[in-house]
Amino acid sequence: MSENIIDISHVSFKYKGSEEGLLNDTSLTVAKGETLLLTGASGSGKTTLIRLINGLIPHYYQGVLEGEVTVSGRDIGKAELYELAGVVGTVFQNPRSQFFSVDTDGEIVFGNENIGLDPKIILKRKEAIVSQMHIEKLLGRTLFELSGGEKQSIACASVSALLPEIILLDEPSSNLDQGAIAKLHDQIALWNMQGKTIVISEHRLWYLKDLVDRVIYMDSGKIAHEWKGAEFAAFDSRKIAELKLRPLTVSDVLSPACGSNCGLKDSCDKIGAMPDEADGIVLKDFFFSYHRKPYLFWKKSFNENDPDLSLCIQRLVLPKGAVIGVTGRNGTGKSTFLKCVCGLEKDCKGIIEDAGRTYKGKERLKLSYMVMQDVNHQLFTDSVESEVLLSMNEEDKGRCNEILDKLGILEFKDKHPMALSGGQKQRVAIASAMAADAKLMLFDEPTSGLDFLHMEKVAELLKSLARTGKTVLVATHDPELIELCCEYILCIENGKLGYIRKV
Amino acid sequence: MSTETNTNKLKAKDFITVGIFTAILFVVEFACGMLGYIHPFIVASYVVMIPLVGAIPMMLFYTKVQKFGMITIMSVLIAIIMFVTGMGFLGAPLIVAAGVIADFIAKSGKYKSFRKTMISYGVFSLWICANYFPVVITAESYRQDLVDGGYSAEYCNNLFLAINYKTIGVLLILCFVFGCIGAVIGKAVVKKHFEKAGIV
Amino acid sequence: MKLDPRTKLYMILIVSAVVLMSATSPFLWGVRILMTLIPVILLIIEKRYTSAFGFTFLYLVALVLTFAFLSEDSNSFFKTFLTGYSGIVVQFLPCLITAWYVVRTTKIGEFMSSMQKMHVPDGITIALAVVMRFFPTIKEEYSSISDAMKMRGISFGGGNAAKMIEYRMIPLLFSCVNIGDELSAAAITRGLGGKVKRTSVEELRLRWADWLLITAFTSAAVIFVVFKYFL
Repeated sequence: MSENIIDISHVSFKYKGSEEGLLNDTSLTVAKGETLLLTGASGSGKTTLIRLINGLIPHYYQGVLEGEVTVSGRDIGKAELYELAGVVGTVFQNPRSQFFSVDTDGEIVFGNENIGLDPKIILKRKEAIVSQMHIEKLLGRTLFELSGGEKQSIACASVSALLPEIILLDEPSSNLDQGAIAKLHDQIALWNMQGKTIVISEHRLWYLKDLVDRVIYMDSGKIAHEWKGAEFAAFDSRKIAELKLRPLTVSDVLSPACGSNCGLKDSCDKIGAMPDEADGIVLKDFFFSYHRKPYLFWKKSFNENDPDLSLCIQRLVLPKGAVIGVTGRNGTGKSTFLKCVCGLEKDCKGIIEDAGRTYKGKERLKLSYMVMQDVNHQLFTDSVESEVLLSMNEEDKGRCNEILDKLGILEFKDKHPMALSGGQKQRVAIASAMAADAKLMLFDEPTSGLDFLHMEKVAELLKSLARTGKTVLVATHDPELIELCCEYILCIENGKLGYIRKV
Repeated sequence: MSTETNTNKLKAKDFITVGIFTAILFVVEFACGMLGYIHPFIVASYVVMIPLVGAIPMMLFYTKVQKFGMITIMSVLIAIIMFVTGMGFLGAPLIVAAGVIADFIAKSGKYKSFRKTMISYGVFSLWICANYFPVVITAESYRQDLVDGGYSAEYCNNLFLAINYKTIGVLLILCFVFGCIGAVIGKAVVKKHFEKAGIV
Repeated sequence: MKLDPRTKLYMILIVSAVVLMSATSPFLWGVRILMTLIPVILLIIEKRYTSAFGFTFLYLVALVLTFAFLSEDSNSFFKTFLTGYSGIVVQFLPCLITAWYVVRTTKIGEFMSSMQKMHVPDGITIALAVVMRFFPTIKEEYSSISDAMKMRGISFGGGNAAKMIEYRMIPLLFSCVNIGDELSAAAITRGLGGKVKRTSVEELRLRWADWLLITAFTSAAVIFVVFKYFL
C-alpha cells in the first residue's frame, strides 16, 4: 500500500456565491486499496472532499478552487468528467434522486452505456455484478417501487458495473434501516476485498468500524485528526462524545430490529407498558391496506380479518406526554402507521380517544401533526412567520413570536423557510405544529443524515415537546436517537403491534 | 483558478434541466387537460389556464437558461410527447417554430432582459394551440359529415362554436397575451420565493 | 410479446393520421374499428385487462351514442353536450388506446435506443429520458405535498385559486430542482454527456410480429384512403 492513488494537495475551495471557504489548505493522500472514513460535523467539508475526488468540483459545482487534485494519475482540474466515470464511482446520499432510469436493469448498465462499451461486454459485467451482489430478485423491477435500501443496492451495482478503481460513498446510510445497512456493510467489505480504494463520508459509525483502515476527522474545512482504523475502533464512548460523533456501538434496544420473537410469544411483555386508558391516548381499530380489491359501488371498510393488511392494530394506548420511538424494519408499516394516525389515509377508519373526546375521520387531522422526513414538502409560504400564522385559526403574531422564540428561530422570522438549513426547516415545521395546537406530534425519521450535534438538538427538542404535554411519536432507524430521548419503544412488525415497552 | 465555464455548448446538466421542466410543464398541461374531459368547450380555455399556471415553472426555467437551444429542445420534446401520447403530429411544426422563435427572442436579450423573456414566453405559449389542430381539422370534416347526414348547419355550428378555423386565430392571440401576463405573474412568484430563498 | 419501439411509433403515426379523416361509410367505420381493435388486443396480450376492458367499454358506448341515440331534433343542451362529447371520443380514442399501449409497454432504455437508431441527437434523447423518469417523481412528490396540505387544512387555499396553485407549485418546484441537481450529479459521474457514442444493451430488431403489424397498419391506412377519396 505504498502507491498513492488519490493526492489532494493544498486545496482550498469556496462555493460560488458564498463568503467563507469550505476547505482551507487541505492536503490528503489515499493509498491504493485503502478504506478511508471521513467524519466530522455537518458542513465540515466532508462532502466537498468527496466532490473534489470525483471531479464534481470544479466541473459541476462552481466556485474558486486553489491547489491540485490528482486521482489515479489524472489532474482532476483538466480531466473531463466523463473520462473519470470508469475510474471513480460515487454512491450518493439520497436513493431517490440518484437513479436515472426507471427500471433496475437499465440503471445497472447506465454508466457502461454512457462510456460506449460493447453491449456484449456490458451484459457480461451486469451478470457478474448481479450474482456477486445477490440482487437477482431486484432485476426487472421498477425503481420507484423499491425500498430505500433496495434502491441503494442498485446504486451500488450501477457504480460497481463501471469497475472503477476508486469508490466514494457520500453518507450512504442516511436513509437506510438496519437490515439495509448490514447489506451496505457487506458491499463495502466486498469492494475492499476486490482491492478497491474506498472513501466513505459518514455520520453513522457503528457499521463501519471494522471496515476502515484510516479515519479522518474534519473540522471547519480542515483535517483536524487522523487515526488508524483499529485505534479509532477502540475509542471509548467518552472520547467519541468529546468529538461530537455518533456512537461507535449501539445498544441492543433496536437490533435486531424488534427482537426476533417479540409479539409472537407470551413471554414478551407486550402490553405491560401500556398505560390505563384514562391516562393515555387510545387508538382503536386502525386497519389499512394498500391492496384494496377493486370495488364498483361502495367501499367496504377494513377489518381485522382482511387479508393483506398493511396495518392492523386493534387497540393501542399511547402514554401521554412521552416521547415514543416507533421502530421496525423498512417497509413494515411505520410510515403507514404514522399516516393513519394523523388521518391522512382516509380509508383507515381508526378512532382516537383522548381525554374523553373521540376523534374520527378528518378530526384526527386536527389532533395530530406530522413532521415529514422530507420537511421541504410541508413549507408553503415565503417567510417563517407567515408559515406559522398559516397554521393558526386566528392569526396571533404575539403567540407566533413566542413559539418561534421557544424554538430558537425567532431571528429568521422574515426569511424564506427554504433558505434555512435542514435543522432549522424542521423547527419551522414544528413551530407550525405547535401553532396548530396539535396534541399528538409525529416525526418521520427526523434525524436521518444528521450529525451528532444536530441529533442531540432534535432529541432535546422532542423531550421539551413532551414536557409541555405533547405526545410525541417518532419513527426512526437511529438507535442513538432512541437512547437519547425515547421513554417508550413501540415496535411495528408487518403492520402489527410488535410490542410497546418502557426503555 | 476560477472555475467559471463559459462555453456555449449545451451539457448533460442542461439537458436534464430541460427534461425536468418539460415534465413539470406537461403535468400542468395534464392537470388543466383533465378539466377538458368535462366537455370539449372547456378545452378552449386552455389558452388562458396553461399560459398562466405554466408561467411559474417556466419563469424559473428561464432563470436557468443561459445558452441557446434549451427552449428549442423543450419545444421538440413537447412535440414528441404530444405525438407519443396520441395528440397527433399536426401541431409539431407550430410547437417547434414557437420554440425556436422564443429561443431567439430570449437570446437577443442575452437571457437576462425581462421584457424579452416575457415576449419569448408569450411566443412559446403558442404551442398550446397545437392541441386544437386535430380537433379543428376533424371537427370541420365531422361537421361536414353531420351536415351531409341531414343535420342543420346551425346546429352543427353550435356544436363546434369555440374551436374552428375562424377562432384559431383568436386563440393564438389569447395564448400570446396570457403568456405575457403569465410571465409577469410568474416572475413575481420567482422573486417572492426562489430569489428570496436564494436558489436562483 | 415484444415489439420494436419503432413499430409502436409507426402505429401511432398511422392511427393519428387515420383519425384525422372522418369515416363516411359503414365500410370505413369498419376499417377504423378494426384498427382500434389491434391495440386493444395487444393490451390483452400484455395482460392489461382492466385498461383493455375500460377502453373497449368507453369506445362502444360512444359509438352507440353517436349512431343510435342522437339526432338533430334532440336539441337540448344535454344532447348537444353528448353529441359533441361522444363524437370527440369516437374520433380520438383509437389514438389514445394506441398511445396508452405504447407508453405502458415501452422501457426507457428501449425507447432511447430506438431514438438513437433514428438518429435523434443525444441531447434530445437524454432530455426525453429525464422527462419520463420525472413523471413518477412528480407524482411521488406531489402526493407528499398534498398530504402536508391536508394536514394543515390548506388543500383549498382558503377558497383562493391563486393560493391553491401556489401552495402546490412552490414546494413541488423546490423539490424538483433539488432532485434534478442531485440527479445531474449522479448521472454525470457515471459518464453521461461524454463525447463517446452511447451504446445500448437493448437489442432492437424487427421481428415477424413487427412486420405483421406494420403491414396491417399500412394496408389499413391505404384501404381507408383509397375507399374514402378514390372510390
